[in-house]
Amino acid sequence: MKRSPLANAILWFVLIMGTAAFVFPLWWMTVVSLETPERAGAAITGSGGVVLVPPSPQFHNYLDAIRETGSKPWMGFVDALANSIVVTVLVVLGTVISSSLVGYAFARLRFRGSRALFLVMLGTMMLPGQVTMIPLFLVFRQFGWIDTLMPLVVPAFFGNAFFIFMYRQFIAQIPESLVEAARVDGLGHLAIWWRIVLPLCRPVTAICAVFTFIGTWNDFLAPLIYLHSDEKSTLAVALNGFKNQYGGLDDVHLLMALSVLTMIPCIVLFIAAQKTFVEGLARGAVKG
Amino acid sequence: MANVKLHKVGKVYEGPGGSQVRAVEAVDLAIADGEFCVLVGPSGCGKSTTLRMIAGLEEISEGTLEIDGARVNDLPAKDRDIAFVFQNYALYPHLTVAQNIAFGLETRRAHRSALVAALSGAGAARAEESAKIDARVAEVSRTLGLDALLARFPRELSGGQRQRVAVGRAIARDPKVFLFDEPLSNLDARLRIETRTELRMLHRRLRATIVYVTHDQEEAMTLADRLVVMHKGKVQQNAGPQECYERPANRFVAGFIGTPPMNIVDGRLANGAFGANGVHAPMPTRVSDRACALGFRPDRVRLAAPNSAGSVAATIAAVERLGDRTDIALDSAWGRIVARIDADLATGAREGDAVGFTFDAAHAHLFEAGECGARISV
Repeated sequence: MKRSPLANAILWFVLIMGTAAFVFPLWWMTVVSLETPERAGAAITGSGGVVLVPPSPQFHNYLDAIRETGSKPWMGFVDALANSIVVTVLVVLGTVISSSLVGYAFARLRFRGSRALFLVMLGTMMLPGQVTMIPLFLVFRQFGWIDTLMPLVVPAFFGNAFFIFMYRQFIAQIPESLVEAARVDGLGHLAIWWRIVLPLCRPVTAICAVFTFIGTWNDFLAPLIYLHSDEKSTLAVALNGFKNQYGGLDDVHLLMALSVLTMIPCIVLFIAAQKTFVEGLARGAVKG
Repeated sequence: MANVKLHKVGKVYEGPGGSQVRAVEAVDLAIADGEFCVLVGPSGCGKSTTLRMIAGLEEISEGTLEIDGARVNDLPAKDRDIAFVFQNYALYPHLTVAQNIAFGLETRRAHRSALVAALSGAGAARAEESAKIDARVAEVSRTLGLDALLARFPRELSGGQRQRVAVGRAIARDPKVFLFDEPLSNLDARLRIETRTELRMLHRRLRATIVYVTHDQEEAMTLADRLVVMHKGKVQQNAGPQECYERPANRFVAGFIGTPPMNIVDGRLANGAFGANGVHAPMPTRVSDRACALGFRPDRVRLAAPNSAGSVAATIAAVERLGDRTDIALDSAWGRIVARIDADLATGAREGDAVGFTFDAAHAHLFEAGECGARISV
């Protein structure tokens, strides 16, 4: 379809404005992270005006931010990074494994009450997290899990209703004969799930893994509730440490620098997984 | 290789509200070692269900199934040592052709995990197994002409190639029994006939016991050593293909086997003649007078001059020229009758012409009245 030059111009204008609206906060965050403490402070109070390129970039801000994270120089950052990585990797693994396994069961096994169970599971999606927050806290306290990583990691191994639903829908489309062929070839249900179903679910797994990764990596509330000691905190919580005791900000430039660093894995992961997303959509489209 | 015995095997499905649907009823079948047995029938006749019960993909509700003399009713599919070729091939889309063929061998190997084998000092044994599997895959792919495709994925293959990979996956494991569920129905007509011949040759070479399901009676006739015609969950006839054609056990088999199908007319036998709707034709037989159905194949029909003695008057409804022969559809008091005659005898036939026809009484069949009326010896 050929568009008129005017339509093209309008289209480009809208797209550029939209992109700017999304990119500006990131850009500005990076700009502030490279400012001197005084200019950064002025920038966030608004008295410095909006600067799009820092006049003298302070790259050492990044090293300073890493050093100043937590209460121990350097090690505070290392602890927070390690905790974030451990929690995120385990949660992603747990969510993918449990959700796909349960999704397989709902899609392929016929058992009494499976429909009712599926509906109950979907029902849990309607519950806001705030409702279960306090009961969960009490349960985990009974287990003696407060100030450990357990409350952050263990629930992931019990499935996520939304991803179970996604897996179930996808697995239900896999031809029954593939599963039967695998049965004849000598596989049990667990092996069929691992060797046939999971490889075929790659697009769903990519979505599940990336969303879970981003959600867990950036999660602030759960670590804040369950973790108290400094060396247990995750990066998202450690960022909060840059607030002073009155809730104000003394070192905005360092906060911004650490924020930029924290964001990098999410962006890299998203770019890396983009191809699989698109592939998943395309495969769904041409499947006859 | 092995023999397969079904004794009074039946399948009952639980319908909604506790009702029961009987899909397969009391099937008795003895398939000898190395025999090519074809289950044939219209869709919904229970042939696929029977095959799936042999495979262990469907539970057996009644009766016993024996493979090599051992009762296997409760044995899971993987322990029955059978191979199944699916209508849609069911190739694993994420594995290459070579991996697909090797899959059943891999899952059965003694040392599944390379790591465990290495740690337990069985690394050499595992390597030997792997070499054996590779050799087997190479051998199978050579047999089926798949050598050049081993590294491809199923999505990169044509329908015919996929079908051959599916067969390759089955023969790689050297199972006791091969089960085929309409394996050719997704191929185009020309390829289907070619592949049919290849399957037949493969069976000769492997001397394998094969149970094969199809709804295509021509495919069934050409492949089978033993033909099992099914209808409404019951075996209608279990015999060699030629016998099913020449001496159909009942009216259903008569109408199902042979193309174009046998002409069957409901009427009455009286005084050495068969009559229907007031029109009679001579039918010499020792059978006593009764209501019955008369069957005669299209190639046993001859055209005659209108109103000639002993002929049935008819009008030509359609003429289909096949080259060497011509199929002529006739409208008569006996209903629609198809005649297959030599092309040079039919050059003058025009649609709308008034003619007469006779049938070869020596090759005619008589059946009891009813849909599955039994054969009456002429």
